Amino acid sequence: MSSGNIKKVLFRPSLFILFLIPLFSVFIGAAEGGPCKDYGECDDFKYSLNDFESLQRGAATYINYCYGCHSLKYSRWGRVAKDLKIPEDIFFENLVFDKSIKPGDLMTGSMPAEESAKWFGVAPPDLTLVSRYKGDDWIYSYLRAYYEDSSKQYGVNNLVYPGTAMPNVLLALQGNQRLVCKDVPIIARNGGQKRDENGNTITEEKCGFLEVENGTGKLSKEEFDSLIYDLTNFLVYVGEPAKATRERIGWYVVFYFLIFTALSSLLYREFHKDYNKH
Amino acid sequence: MTEIAGKLFTWINTRLPIANTFERHLSKHPVPSKVNFWYLFGALAAVTLIIQIVTGIWLIMPYSNTEEQAFSSIEYIMRDVDYGWVIRYMHTTGASLFFAVVYLHMFRGLLYGSYQKPKELVWIFGCTIYLAMMAEGFLGYVLPYGQMSYWGAQVIISLFGAIPYIGESLELWVRGDYYISGITVSRFFALHVVALPLVLIALVFLHLVALHEVGAGNPEGVDIEEHLDDDGVPLDSVPFFPYKVLNALVAIGVFMTVFSIIMFFFPEGGGYFIEMANFQEANPLVTPDHIAPVWYYAPFYTMLRAIPDPLGGLIVMAAAVAIFFIVPWLDRSNVASIRYKGIYSKIAITMFGVSFLTLGYLGTVGVTEVRKTMSVICTVMYFAYFLLMPIYTKYETTKEVPDRL
Repeated sequence: MSSGNIKKVLFRPSLFILFLIPLFSVFIGAAEGGPCKDYGECDDFKYSLNDFESLQRGAATYINYCYGCHSLKYSRWGRVAKDLKIPEDIFFENLVFDKSIKPGDLMTGSMPAEESAKWFGVAPPDLTLVSRYKGDDWIYSYLRAYYEDSSKQYGVNNLVYPGTAMPNVLLALQGNQRLVCKDVPIIARNGGQKRDENGNTITEEKCGFLEVENGTGKLSKEEFDSLIYDLTNFLVYVGEPAKATRERIGWYVVFYFLIFTALSSLLYREFHKDYNKH
Repeated sequence: MTEIAGKLFTWINTRLPIANTFERHLSKHPVPSKVNFWYLFGALAAVTLIIQIVTGIWLIMPYSNTEEQAFSSIEYIMRDVDYGWVIRYMHTTGASLFFAVVYLHMFRGLLYGSYQKPKELVWIFGCTIYLAMMAEGFLGYVLPYGQMSYWGAQVIISLFGAIPYIGESLELWVRGDYYISGITVSRFFALHVVALPLVLIALVFLHLVALHEVGAGNPEGVDIEEHLDDDGVPLDSVPFFPYKVLNALVAIGVFMTVFSIIMFFFPEGGGYFIEMANFQEANPLVTPDHIAPVWYYAPFYTMLRAIPDPLGGLIVMAAAVAIFFIVPWLDRSNVASIRYKGIYSKIAITMFGVSFLTLGYLGTVGVTEVRKTMSVICTVMYFAYFLLMPIYTKYETTKEVPDRL
């Protein structure tokens, strides 16, 4: 393409519009409250659906700590065992407590909806698709954002979901998390820390930090984060069991269409050569 | 063997005009020899329509159109039906890309005057296709019976209620119930899979028949019929088959690559193709925080919201779509293509593009004061493009159109 051509292309109205749009959206795209509410930005979550150990640990945590209240009614027991590469006999012996359940059964849960609504004020929702309507970032942040709040029914509240009806089921593992105030360095406009004349950092008191009381939980912070990672990873899987397959075969399909495009453009060129001779 | 095949062909051909039709519409159908990429979106729209029909047929098989099972049957397709997720994502991605290519196809029409005499009917059939598509897309979005299906339908159906006198009974008649229910789902299902596809196919047929009668346009706005060779074939033309078909094939390759990248890696399209709230089953007792239409209705939804009065909003929204139908009579220019039109046309179409995209963006986000003002400004800009067209196309200086392509 010659430079004249480039100029011509760039000054076409249709392309001009495409350049204007980002400017527009910056101008009118005022900040909206994020999905993680008081927590601020949700923590970034990167799923790894090929890490079967993580998914298996996540499944175990879910069934032991969550399944009592939260069904996975669109998912089937046998499918989870198969997809997570857990031998069916081990799976059924260790993770399926009701012995009348068959592999093809749906994971419908065992808690009666009507009574649980009385107990908790709202029936615990089915979580098969929670990773799809809330997002994995949200789940990962939410489960780590509980803090002590004696004004609430279960003595806890949540930064991501203020006023949540769910008690902190994992409290014994995480320990007692509290909202604390800390002295933090003041950040200058240039991004560095503000210092006084002697070179000491200037601090200010800020509140709203989550901190676990030492020695109250069975797991360290890292261990607990990793437990929640596995649990969230499992919920991503169960939200769309075909996701790993989809992303795997997607490459082949895209590759196929690239080859298709290349071959068809060669064919197109060949025919046009032939036409121009006449 | 070839002899038998030849005889069979002759037998059929004397009873059905195969060879004639092939020549008339494909191998000897002349199309302009020089067009640009804008002229490929029609073919892509046809491909997408076929994808929608084929995947749609396979989706009907496991889908259940009842209030109790609509949502769970979708999850059944996604989990238990072999490769059901492929079919379903093809259909959802196809829906969004259908609108994307049709919007580009329509914009091409506005850029190069593809509605001008004698192509008025091609244009009008096209506008009707777009109208049918909007209805088809809306009906289809209700079928998974998620939260957005329910509340989106609630908003759209209640629009009928804004019509004076007959509004309320019309609303009830469309819904079939006092609130959205299984009755609404099953009637929308019938309309989505039988009635509107029939209408769409018939309209596409008419669109193409009319197009083949008057001939395709080109970005120069040159009438290729004015210079013919000894056989009466336009000099600046190539036969549709195989030249343009091969050209379209390359475009289809590129399009399908984009299609598969979305479908396999970003099927929700960042919440624009499948909205997150639609993964929650419809719940009449819980309104979602933020009801937003799918992106392809967003510009019109913004116009609806920009007007405080419901009836006024409805009228403006309907007018925004209806105004496309009269474009052939609004354009008073002596040239077809934007390349030879004057500066006012160029400014106008740029303003139109900017306003349309901004309206689209505004329709997907919540309302603030600034955005409300922006929506009103953009709605005015949108209509100004059409309503001022008779003036600016008539009184601007145009460039001279060359004789040949």
